[in-house]
Amino acid sequence: MAEFSWAPRSSLEKALVAGAHGTRGIEAGISLTEIRNFDLIQVMARRGQAAELAKVAKARFGVAAPNAPKAIQTSDATLIWSGPDQFFVLSKGGKHTMQTLATSLSGPASLSDQSHARVLISISDAKARAMLAKLSSIDLHPDAFAVGAAAATSMDHTSVTLWRGGDRDGLAVFNLLVFATFAESLWHMILDSAAEYGVDIGHSKEF
Amino acid sequence: MAGAQTHRLGNAGLIDRSAPLNFRFDGKAFSGFQGDTLASALIANGVKLVGRSFKYHRPRGILTSGSEEPNALVELRTGARREPNTKATTAELYEGLEAASQNRWPSLRHDVMSVNQLFAPIFVAGFYYKTFMWPAKFWEAIYEPAIRRAAGLGRAAGIADPDHYDKAWAHCDVLIAGSGPAGLAAALSAGRSGARVILCEEDFTLGGRLLSDGGTIDGLPAAAWLSKTLDELAAMPDVRIIPRTTLFGVYDGGTYGAIERVNDHLPSPPEHQVRQRLWRIVARRCVVAAGAIERPIVFAGNDTPGVMMASAMRTYVARYAATPAKRIALFTNNEDGWRTVETALGAGLQIAAVIDARPDVSPAHRSLASKSGFPVLHGSVSGVDGGKDGVRKIAVSLTGGARAEVEADGLAVSGGWNPAVGLTSYHRGRPTWRDDIAAFVPDGAPPGMVAAGAANGDFGLGACLSQGFAAGAAAARDAGHNGKAGIAPVADDEVFSLTPLWHVAGKGKAFVDYQHDVTASDIELAQREGFESVEHLKRYTTLGMATDQGKTSNVAGLAIMAAVSGRSIPETGTTIYRPPYVPVAIGAFAGHHRDETFHATRLTPSHHWAVEQGAVFVDTGLWKRAQWYPRAGEKDWLESVTREVKAVRGGVGFCDVSTLGKIDVHGSDAGAFLDRVYINTFSNLAVGKARYGLMLREDGIVYDDGTTSRLAEDHYFLTTTTAKAGLVMQHLEFCRQVLFPELDVQLTSVSDQWAQFSIAGPKTRDLLKEIVDPAEDLSNEGFPFMGAREVTLRGGLKARLFRISFSGEMAFEISVPARFGDAMARNLMLAGAPFGVTPYGTEALGVMRVEKGHIAGPELSGTTTAADLGLGKMMSTKKDYIGRVMAGREALVAPDRQVVVGIKPTDKARRLRSGAHIIPKGQTPGPGNDQGYVTSVCFSPTSDQWIGLALVERGRERIGEIVHAHDPLRGEDYDVELCNPVFYDPDGGRQRG
Amino acid sequence: MRIVCPFCGERELGEFTYLGDAKPVRPEAGASEDEVFDYVYLRDNVAGETSEYWYHGGGCRTWLKVTRNTLTHEISSVEPAAGAGAAKVGA
Repeated sequence: MAEFSWAPRSSLEKALVAGAHGTRGIEAGISLTEIRNFDLIQVMARRGQAAELAKVAKARFGVAAPNAPKAIQTSDATLIWSGPDQFFVLSKGGKHTMQTLATSLSGPASLSDQSHARVLISISDAKARAMLAKLSSIDLHPDAFAVGAAAATSMDHTSVTLWRGGDRDGLAVFNLLVFATFAESLWHMILDSAAEYGVDIGHSKEF
Repeated sequence: MAGAQTHRLGNAGLIDRSAPLNFRFDGKAFSGFQGDTLASALIANGVKLVGRSFKYHRPRGILTSGSEEPNALVELRTGARREPNTKATTAELYEGLEAASQNRWPSLRHDVMSVNQLFAPIFVAGFYYKTFMWPAKFWEAIYEPAIRRAAGLGRAAGIADPDHYDKAWAHCDVLIAGSGPAGLAAALSAGRSGARVILCEEDFTLGGRLLSDGGTIDGLPAAAWLSKTLDELAAMPDVRIIPRTTLFGVYDGGTYGAIERVNDHLPSPPEHQVRQRLWRIVARRCVVAAGAIERPIVFAGNDTPGVMMASAMRTYVARYAATPAKRIALFTNNEDGWRTVETALGAGLQIAAVIDARPDVSPAHRSLASKSGFPVLHGSVSGVDGGKDGVRKIAVSLTGGARAEVEADGLAVSGGWNPAVGLTSYHRGRPTWRDDIAAFVPDGAPPGMVAAGAANGDFGLGACLSQGFAAGAAAARDAGHNGKAGIAPVADDEVFSLTPLWHVAGKGKAFVDYQHDVTASDIELAQREGFESVEHLKRYTTLGMATDQGKTSNVAGLAIMAAVSGRSIPETGTTIYRPPYVPVAIGAFAGHHRDETFHATRLTPSHHWAVEQGAVFVDTGLWKRAQWYPRAGEKDWLESVTREVKAVRGGVGFCDVSTLGKIDVHGSDAGAFLDRVYINTFSNLAVGKARYGLMLREDGIVYDDGTTSRLAEDHYFLTTTTAKAGLVMQHLEFCRQVLFPELDVQLTSVSDQWAQFSIAGPKTRDLLKEIVDPAEDLSNEGFPFMGAREVTLRGGLKARLFRISFSGEMAFEISVPARFGDAMARNLMLAGAPFGVTPYGTEALGVMRVEKGHIAGPELSGTTTAADLGLGKMMSTKKDYIGRVMAGREALVAPDRQVVVGIKPTDKARRLRSGAHIIPKGQTPGPGNDQGYVTSVCFSPTSDQWIGLALVERGRERIGEIVHAHDPLRGEDYDVELCNPVFYDPDGGRQRG
Repeated sequence: MRIVCPFCGERELGEFTYLGDAKPVRPEAGASEDEVFDYVYLRDNVAGETSEYWYHGGGCRTWLKVTRNTLTHEISSVEPAAGAGAAKVGA
């Protein structure tokens, strides 16, 4: 009997080379971190059940789920708007899974597991906006895209979910969920776009 | 340091004399300074001849000091970076710059093609249309190759561009084109009001005409005001000034295109830096402060090197401390031209004469002339004596008929100013004529755009400042910003006082369009031949169609046409303006999308494992799919594919099929919804079962197919073909949202969530038993054909198992969450080793589906009905569904339709090719007896011959008939037998066993 | 060109896919071939204001009904297309 290993492998396993990339000798203008250990569940209201879902979700998470393009931080999850009457529940791996969410949400909502369908990339540091302007057509100026703003949008003709997390060291942090099969391609495009600013690359199991 | 800068003033100018730069022009070494353009550096070195003209190969010099330059076009850089038609007037000088003149052979001074001037009578307007008409067969063989050799300016590099280009988006409230007085004033007021401002300046130094013409603003010298203003703007965090950037186009919804020459001023971009950046700017309001372009007067010899626009002449003197001539004559029809006299005198240059076409000259200028000792001649320049070494003498027709001659080595010309109406006219706005300045001014600008200052026809410094300031404040206000803008900067307005003059009659060629060598007589000829409409004039003479888009020539051309056709200039009208305002490199539009990153790429979860296996990949849409896995010693793809097929049919193999579209269909009405989108019924599918489904378009033609499984009462898992995955999702969302909103259905793409593998072959169960938990029952009873359910794998991982087959073999498809896809491939290899497991690619997949007679992309061609594909029985008669009614149309159910049938060559050794036409045997191929075509072919290892599928008229009634395959593309003709499309295991025993 | 998605806000053209005229309504199940033929094929070629289906596939995946002037390209309204093509039962 063969010994099987079921080691998960990120779509960026090969492409992501931790360390410095692009222009050297300056302080890296871009920090790129892949976050590898998460659960992501798509929650969609059943027909006519949006109000009921909102009620149940509020009871479940302690805060109202987003009903506009926002990302809402709870104590142990991020609720990200993904379309009318639907949102993502993003949490550390094993925290909010299909099984745990089904018990409270499956009445008024349909759930679909997207944990493996996306790659999660965090983009920060001084040149984050300048670099994202090469990939994203939406306005990321602080007045237009405040902390907690989210967008279902496209980068390089690829659907993505983008939201602004809490600032780090006074600098904006942008989080990006990209389809797993597109991830390596978009990653290279990100590196090409970021190279001039100097990039610091890493990955993490922590949010 | 090579060469003395003989024509450089000893002081002044905005050049950095502490930073000398070496450069070469046509191989000869020169020097200049930081802050020079190539043109100003050539002038400083006394170079007058810089190029040859397009048609007549006439010697040409530098006409302007900006992006409107029609003459001084050079090949800049060498090797892969060589760029033809670069304007010397905007190319910034850098250390080691190399440039070469164009359109001459063997050298600029001795150009053989200048004999074209002798044949000038035949190179008239419409030359091509008239000359190369006859005989027709000469066109391809002789005329076109000859024209192609002679035509064109400069040589492309012919080698891939080594540099990176970039694209970026920007957003602002107020976008400003131009950093002259109007643009800066607009930036000040908009910025102070609190608006987000982007100002694009084409030049590498900010200030526009202030850099050349100076003036006094708010009591300060222009330079001091400029520096104070730039400081104030720099302190505003939401005001962004992008130099070296030309706003070249405006598009719907307030989107603008701009090209930033990020590193064109360096020999090559520093590592990781881009050469150019294409900006797409979204702006609520736009202030066009792009200034105006001084226009030439058309007279004989007006293209002689040394004839230069008056404003350019003073720019070279004042801004670059370079002297285009030592003894200058001015030919003007307006007051502004006189400023060149003042600048030249101030720099210690000599004025030979001023030829003023107006009836009166101001007393102030008269006294300047007498004080400085130069004559003022009332009249016009009617000819220039000179050549490739420049101007020598100028012939003047004096008012009243007398003639005079002026000796000079430079002639400054001012025919007035044309506002830069490009941007404001790009949405088909037609500029309107203003008599007082004898020029077109913007009208009908795109929504949200206004012109200010010289771009609006108001040339005075005071007017530029006040208009720009007001426009900036209004734009900010419109965008919702009401901060205090303060008061506008103040300056006096200069007198303009112009008497229109377009063309001076005289002997010799008088050029209108310098770059395309269009003369005044060409326009007159076009009029005589009936090409009076401006759009005809443009195409017949090619006026304004060169890379400069007629910036210096269009209005003069219209004016001459107006004069000869007896109409006014506004009656004559303008041609339609179209972007881009300046040429934009294709590389900038491509950005990072080149070579491997030409488009986004999708990789399957087992991609890198397949790379390790040495797989050959094929592009399928955006996907890279493993096509086959060659092994050492295999001589071609066919050998590898044949081995893979045999391995599957004789044992077991697996293939990554994760590229199939996968959609979660949830909701209490999920079954009812699927009943409406598929021709067959899904609401009665039992939980734990899969069913093949076929979708039609609303017009009755087949759209897509795939297997859909019911995983729970209210949860189906739908698959689509790889090619249609995105489109089917879009179609289903349309059905769900727009057509059937009453149904409780939710759709989610799970294509990326699952890694899916097809495992096929008689030993499939043996392999699976190694992978799945021993408690799972995989027997025919425990997991029958078309079963679908979740299973536990050894190690506890949950997977989905579907007993479906596309190959005709005993087969399963297994899905695991995508991050386990790589492990799944490795584990299948490990578990399958005792059974000789073989990974197979899309080719073997295709061979087995043809052997089994399954339809795929070539048969789902957008022309076939369900019945054509042999699937007519699936069409439910008990329910409505998309495409039902239209599928019943007479022509779609006609008995003589082309339907899917199998084919095999009568000569067993023959290779089949798809695309061949099917003709009845014994008939001569022709459109009248074309009965269909071959859709899919393969070499069938199982049948040991080539087999195929074809769409053939009444094909299923003709099984056994020998028909003729006619392949004119490859020159092949052979006989094939029509047969049952299911070549392999027709009773299905293997896949059910 | 930019479209203001009622859910996502103003977005560039690249995020949207055009389908066509949003006027025809899908006939109900018992409709005649002629009625369905008109629904599938018959379109006005409007010079002026027209309503169109656009899919925000590069965003929130909502089908939208966009009122657009084909002469000026001006968009006067964008709304969700929910039910816009549904058979009006009993109508």
